[in-house]
Order: sequence, then structure tokens, then C-alpha cells
Amino acid sequence: MIVFDHVTKKFGDVIAVNDLSFEIRDGETVMLLGPSGCGKTTTLKMINRLIEHTSGTILVDGKDIEKEDPVQLRRSMGYVIQQAGLFPHLTVGDNIGTVPRLLGWKPARIRDRIVELVELVDLDPAILPRLPRELSGGQQQRVGVARALAADPPVMLMDEPFGALDPITRQRLQEELRRLQQRVKKTIVFVTHDVEEAVTLGDRIAVLNVGGVLEQFDRPARILGRPANAFVADFLGKDRQLRRLSLMSVADADLLPESAEGLPEVPSSSNLRSALDEMLETGRRRLAVRDSDGTIKGVLTLESIMQMSRAI
Amino acid sequence: MVIGVLADLGTFWSDFRDTVSANYDELFTRTIEHLSIVAQTALISSAIGIVLGILCARYRERLAPLVIGTASVVLTLPSYALFGYFGVTLGYNDRAVILALTLYAMLPIIRNTYVGLTQVSPAVEESARGMGMSGRQILFRVRLPIALPVIMAGIRQATVLNVAIATIGAAIASGGLGTPIFHAIGRSELTLLLAATILVAAVGIGADLILGLVERILRERYFARARAALLLRLAR
Repeated sequence: MIVFDHVTKKFGDVIAVNDLSFEIRDGETVMLLGPSGCGKTTTLKMINRLIEHTSGTILVDGKDIEKEDPVQLRRSMGYVIQQAGLFPHLTVGDNIGTVPRLLGWKPARIRDRIVELVELVDLDPAILPRLPRELSGGQQQRVGVARALAADPPVMLMDEPFGALDPITRQRLQEELRRLQQRVKKTIVFVTHDVEEAVTLGDRIAVLNVGGVLEQFDRPARILGRPANAFVADFLGKDRQLRRLSLMSVADADLLPESAEGLPEVPSSSNLRSALDEMLETGRRRLAVRDSDGTIKGVLTLESIMQMSRAI
Repeated sequence: MVIGVLADLGTFWSDFRDTVSANYDELFTRTIEHLSIVAQTALISSAIGIVLGILCARYRERLAPLVIGTASVVLTLPSYALFGYFGVTLGYNDRAVILALTLYAMLPIIRNTYVGLTQVSPAVEESARGMGMSGRQILFRVRLPIALPVIMAGIRQATVLNVAIATIGAAIASGGLGTPIFHAIGRSELTLLLAATILVAAVGIGADLILGLVERILRERYFARARAALLLRLAR
């Protein structure tokens, strides 16, 4: 667990993070979301002491990080940044093995771990002997993630890791990170300015305002449904109800046990946003919901979608 | 006319051959001495220059302009005067020559070390720090290896420069190829002058090649081991 207790960071007279208090639970993904100048990266870097906080206390697993050796502290946390920051003079394999080598693992164990990680992040082992500059941006970022996971740290700090990638690659890596997280169950702190990314990846989102003020800290559905104030509502954008629908599954809506004869169909695994899109596309207010085993589960109506969007 | 030129060339060639064989022992010894002076200078100046370059990169604002400025001024000093000064103060020997040459080698080595270290991408340094490398580990495992080609270029440049400058060292000490050159000038022996000059050029080219090889070995060594180990493991 990571606890911020009245943490403030000043750069000279400028307040970057203002009296921040919140808790990140083990195994959850917390997104730090906000415009530039909101102190989200500063907040992240205070956790591994790349930036020292001015006042307040930060606890990791109950221990005050100020009393820890920064080098040891950082080795217990994975760190991924936007430009990947791979070492250009080392092979992909050596890049991934950096932290285990710092920790003094035996060579055979490091090699096994490297091969395991490459498979975990869905890279071809054939790239292990290559140099980072021979890889695409997406591949470099995967290597960055693998390198951060190498010593199996409980905490992962990610600073806009997918920010410099093209939209398609970014989306794919986001999906992979989600799948990866289901397997590895890390405590992830993830900085982003992209609402879509925050909503897709986060268990909870901390919305920060300029000057390092925490405006709201809650689950994505609640933040989208009940923004705490005008700033949050504004930052999330005009389409936040639609974004919220994308978080809800068709299977969770109230389905009517009516005849589905002649209705357009949606799979029960899709989300309410796609269902609504299907309604707009076909001009119908009712859709047949088909389960993965092929049976019709019932009928989804526009009214039940609206009802879902009202519920919090 | 063509026959005339060819005949001249023929005469010149046999003249040249005679001069070289008459002075063979002398030229051979002087070449070895020359190589030895240049090699010692390269070792000493690399050690001092790299350390100063690292300090310059560490204290960018305060130290770098001062050190690099001073090293630039040294390079403008007339070599004859500098050799003379050390000859007078330290005695007429190879030590004085090596000291003067070391001063001449400073600028390229310090500057290249400084530039090589400071041009390492901030993202790379930040991720190294974020992964839990200590300052020393970042320097030796990340920044110096990345800067290596630039640093080696500085050492090569300084060394090749010194192969030529070292001949002037004969003004204060008897070692190196400067000695036969001074003799040749004093006795107007153009063929001997030419032979010694060719040898100086050859030493220069040789030094450049050797240092290029050193650079390749240092660079390859870095990932060759890991590459081989991984390939073995993957082939299983």
C-alpha cells in the first residue's frame, strides 16, 4: 500500500503538489490524470524519490520512504517512462536483465527470467540479441515494461508510457497491459493526460488540477457519472456519459425476456456504448443480446441503457 | 624526357635505399623510441583527460568552461617554446617531452569526454536512476560506455597529433624520430629527411589503427558475451 499523507512539493516558491493525501491499495491500478502543470509526474516521482517531497509523509508498505535508501527503494519498484529510456549500448536482453544484475542474481537465473519476460510482454525472443535502436517504438515500450517487471517488484510506476506511440499501437499496448495486470497483479501508479486511457486502465483515477490539487479520487464510472466539480467535468469532456457507457457491459443491463425476432443483435460481451452505437446505426430502440454460447439472452432497450447511465 | 624523369627516379630510389640501409639501426631504434613516447603520452593523457572530462561533465557550470578554456590556450602555445621550457626546468630528457605532449593532448580528450557524457539522453539517465542505479553505476555502466566512441575519437585525434609534435621533442631530448630529422636538416640530407618523415607518418597511421582496434574491442566486448549466452540458451 502507498499512502500520501499531506504531501506538498515546492520548487522554489512554486507549489507543484499541494497537500496531497490519498491511498493506493495493493494490486490496484491508480491513474494520475490531469492537465500539464498539475503535478502528476512530480507525484509519481516522489514515490521512488527521484523527486524529494517538501513536507508530509509518503509510506510504502507502512514504511516512511524518507528513511529508506533511495537506491534500494527504486530497485523494489518498476519504472517505465515515455521514451522507454532503453540503454542504447546494451542488447534488448541485457536491458531487460539490468535490475536482476544490479541485485546480483546468478547469470542462469537472469537468462531464464529474461526469456520468461519476453514471452510475458508478447515479444519475439529473436529480438533479444538486437540493440534498442533496431526496434519500433511499440517494441521499445514493451521492452521497457519487461525491464521494469524484471525483478518482479510489487509496485510499477509508469509515466505516460504509451504517450509517444501512434493511436493503434497505444490501444494495443493498453489492452496488453490490462491482460498483463490480471496475471501479475501489481500495484500500478500510472500518469496520463488522456481521459480515455485513464478510464480504460484505471481501477481508480486521481484527477489533479494545476498547482497539484487533488480534485477527485474515485472509480472511473463514478468520476464520469458524478464529477466532483466543474473542473473535473470540464476536463473529462462533453462525452463523459458515453465514456461511462463503454465501462458497462451489456450483460449487466436489465434485459427484457421478449421475442427477439427480427432485431439487430449485439454480443453480450460488448459494452453499452457499442450497443447504443448499434441502435443509432440501425435506427432501432431494441437489440437482441446473444450470449457467447449462441443463445439469445433477451432484449436490450434504449430505456434500459438510459436507466443504467443514471445509476451510479 | 620521360626517360630522363624515370632515370632521375631510379637514381633517387637507389639513393633512398642506400640512405635507409646505412641508417637502418638508427632509424629502427628511433621509430621504437617514438612509438614508446607517443604510447606513454597516450596512456597518461587519457587517464588525466578522461578524469578531467568526467569532472567537467559533473560540474558543468563552474568547471567545464575553465578547464576546457585552459586546455584550448595550451594548444595555441608554440611547441618549440613549450618543449624548451620543460627542457630547461625539468632537464633534457624524455620525461619533459612526455609532459609537454600530455598538455597538447588534453583538449581533444577532455572536450570529447565532456561532450560524450553530456550528450547521453536524459531519458536514459532518468530510467537508469529510476531503476535503482547508484551515481557510480550510472557513470560506469551507462554514461561512459555510451560516450566511449566519442571519447576514443578524442584520444585518437590527440595521439595522431602528438606523433607529429613529438618530433620537435628532439630539440630537448635525443629520443624519437625528431633526432634523425634534426640531423638531416643540419646536414642538408634530404633523403634522410624524407625517410624519417615517412616513418613519422607511418607511426601516425599505425597509432590510429591500433586505437581504432582498441575501441572496437571495448565496444564489442560489451554485448558480445550476453549475445552469445542468449543465443545458446535460445538454441536449446
